Amino acid sequence: MTKSAPSTITTVSAGRRGVAMARTRHALGRVLAALARSIAIFVPVFVVATFVTFALRSLSGLSPARIQLGEEATPEAIARVEAQWGLDRPFLVQYWDWFSGVLHGQLGASWTNGADISTLIGLGLGVSLSVATLALVIGVVVGFALGTLAAVRRTTWIDRTITGFVTVVSVMPAFVVGIVLVAVFAVGLHLFPSAGYVPAEQGIGPWLAHITLPALALSFDVIADVARQLRSSLIAAYRENYVTGALVRGLSPRRIFFGHVLRNGLGPTLATLGLKFPALVGASVITEWIFGLQGFGRFANDSAQAGDVPAVQGVLVVSIVLVVAFNLIVNLLLARVTPAAQRGV
Amino acid sequence: MTTLSDNITARPTRPYAPGNAAAPGGSATTAPPLLAVRDVRISDRVADRDIVHGVSFELTPGRTVGIVGESGSGKTLTCRAALGILPPHFEIGAGSIEIDGTDTATLTAADWTALRGATISAVFQDPASYLNPSIRVGAQIAEVVRVKKGLGRREARHRAVELLHAVHLREPELVYGQYTHELSGGMLQRVLIATAIAADPRILIADEATTALDVTVQAEILDLLADLRERAGLALVVVSHDLAVVSQLCDEVLVMRQGHVVERGPTRTVLHEPRHEYTRLLIAEHEQYGLDKFLAKEDA
Amino acid sequence: MVRRVLALTTGRIAVAILTLVALLAVLGPLLAPQDPLATSDTMLAAASGDHWLGTDYLGRDVFSRLLDGSRVSVLGSLEVALTALLVGAVPGILSVYLGRGFEWITLRLADTLVALPFLLFAVAVIALLGNGITQAMLVTGVLVSPLFYRVARAATLAVARSPYVEAALISGASLGWVVRRHVWVKVLPPIAVALAQTIGVGFVIVSSLTFLGIGVQPPAPTWGGLLASDLGYLSHRPWAPLTPALLIMVTVWGSNLLADAIRDVSGEAGRALVNQRRARANRPDKADPAPAGGTR
Repeated sequence: MTKSAPSTITTVSAGRRGVAMARTRHALGRVLAALARSIAIFVPVFVVATFVTFALRSLSGLSPARIQLGEEATPEAIARVEAQWGLDRPFLVQYWDWFSGVLHGQLGASWTNGADISTLIGLGLGVSLSVATLALVIGVVVGFALGTLAAVRRTTWIDRTITGFVTVVSVMPAFVVGIVLVAVFAVGLHLFPSAGYVPAEQGIGPWLAHITLPALALSFDVIADVARQLRSSLIAAYRENYVTGALVRGLSPRRIFFGHVLRNGLGPTLATLGLKFPALVGASVITEWIFGLQGFGRFANDSAQAGDVPAVQGVLVVSIVLVVAFNLIVNLLLARVTPAAQRGV
Repeated sequence: MTTLSDNITARPTRPYAPGNAAAPGGSATTAPPLLAVRDVRISDRVADRDIVHGVSFELTPGRTVGIVGESGSGKTLTCRAALGILPPHFEIGAGSIEIDGTDTATLTAADWTALRGATISAVFQDPASYLNPSIRVGAQIAEVVRVKKGLGRREARHRAVELLHAVHLREPELVYGQYTHELSGGMLQRVLIATAIAADPRILIADEATTALDVTVQAEILDLLADLRERAGLALVVVSHDLAVVSQLCDEVLVMRQGHVVERGPTRTVLHEPRHEYTRLLIAEHEQYGLDKFLAKEDA
Repeated sequence: MVRRVLALTTGRIAVAILTLVALLAVLGPLLAPQDPLATSDTMLAAASGDHWLGTDYLGRDVFSRLLDGSRVSVLGSLEVALTALLVGAVPGILSVYLGRGFEWITLRLADTLVALPFLLFAVAVIALLGNGITQAMLVTGVLVSPLFYRVARAATLAVARSPYVEAALISGASLGWVVRRHVWVKVLPPIAVALAQTIGVGFVIVSSLTFLGIGVQPPAPTWGGLLASDLGYLSHRPWAPLTPALLIMVTVWGSNLLADAIRDVSGEAGRALVNQRRARANRPDKADPAPAGGTR
């Protein structure tokens, strides 16, 4: 404060402490508000989704008795087994029991072999999460690069090439990509193993080699969505007045892009990513089948085919938790990146 | 509410730019012009026609030129040409613009970047849209200070708070940490002015800077601009469709219509002895509907 | 709207692709030169005059299987789209008119369905509820219905809050009449866009499910099933997946193109776009995004 009048010095310095505290509280309040809003959305989602999941058993009419006793079981034997599993109680009681178990991380026991489902899923989760995370990383990095490049060089041949490439990529379902990748890189060029999984503890190299192709197969969809969304939101952001504002303040084009345009273009892209994640988790069924991975997608498929209802419910609950957690993170990031978009939502 | 007397008694917080102190009173000086616009014509390359047909004016430190005209008269394009931010496929067809003795036609993109903010800057109508909605307003001011003046993070922050104080925002510390959607129109225009003067420019272009504001806020902003001109020896270009705004602030006025300068002269002369039909029309209209000026005076 | 879509090149391409695929679905099984289920001794043969696309691991003619399988794939995706339309759009429109309770419940349901990893869910539900293509498509349709719910709801909201609808209601028009006369006209184009998109999505899902062998009984051919059986014999016939994969991709592309074309031509902006494209003789495109600042 070099030349301030005495009166302002006193008011400013007296107020500084209080204001600084108020600002901290303000920022914290914003994060908490975003968190509260997200939770208000996700709690009903979680409850409804688990309810639907649980209702599957009643809808399917499947019973552990059939699996354990076979087709020729007597009604008494069936009733005995069902009572053993607690299936003779009222539906809502069963749901509540199961739901409180879920909240404690207990997903029950498998109908086919009585094993703890949480443990079974835990075994596959590492595989699926490795693949999904790598797919997400590839998708975000490549999609980001393509979208940014297309937006910066818009209406040039670079933009048109990228847009064309993205269109092609976007119409390739994960299993088509998977097959092509296996045909070219595993069968044709022998660059990668075509199937199987090696945990990261046994070496990062083999681990990466085994998950690269499945992750690539999954990532195409993410690449297409991220690139497309980023391109259009960056172009929209470039038309905003604040770009002109930053320009007349004498900021360099590079700084304007990274500091101002990118930040605002990021919001819609993050939101897209949040919407994309469920599809990514779901598509693991396909890729794990193609690449012979024992992840939870494969587990879900096998359990479903075997009629092992609790196992299927367990996988679904885990996938819902993953989706909800991911979207919670996305929402918090959004609140941080584009605070203006958060008001009144 | 900040009253006018507050504005005037507030002390300068910015050091005088060297060499600018000559003309706080505004009497005609022989100093070389900071901004010289010489018979500038702007054409639309695509439609292949001229939009602005020859505008000329000169601006020395501490002086103010006003450009009046209806929308589409070419006044905003003229300003954008002076800032080097003409929209795509518009170009300066003829004439020249000199900023501080340098012909802008010779400037590279990097030169322009160095020049903007530090020598010439601008504020606009709808200030909210000219500030990034996702960044705290204070950080946007600090960014300019850091980039253009090479200050450190902490100093830049300090300076930004000072600037917020200099544009008569109360509780500058609080405003520093707020986002655009948390501030009112008048406050935003002050913030925008603070970002514009953060790198101590010598020319400030105010393009319809008070248009969407309440009458009282409008008067405060005009006072602030006048104040900055007195204190820092800023040269102002005030663009408006509103004669009242121009008459309050300017030494010289250009009246534009459909790309032509139809009248040019000292403010007093133009307002009291208009020679062109269109100027007379503007004045007559203003007298008819010019309640805002009347009210503004009452308020003061 | 149809005429305007056809005025665009992309619209014409899209309609051509989809018509071709639809014809394939209707006539495919009749056109198949051989019995798609008949096995022979020439296993994993390369393409030849007898077998245009070669034979699979049981010596069945791939070309015939492709043609025969097109019906399941195409009808399946239509089923998905129509189910989604019914399950999504109707509550979407009603949610604006039936009070807050209904609105809240349907909104939460839509949120939930969006958050479900639907391929996983589809696999689980279909396997548990009985393995049949119709059930599979109905379930998938419900899972993708939030798109329609949102689109229909947004469009209806925009119309319902507009002054002319209010004016019509005040002047005594019946609710049904207003819906038919005003709401429907505005709601239709976005729903058409969503429908075209969903046909594409449905196509991917149907192919994915049939690829996993869900929803079909083994000998019956489907495009996804063809790919699955090719997977095991890639070292013998590396080019085999190409044709079914391309067919799937082109169909999805056609649906996306159609969606884009409808979006481009619907609404005021769309009409202007068509006119502008027609009028654009020697004038450069003015709709170019304006880069901010002339220095770049």
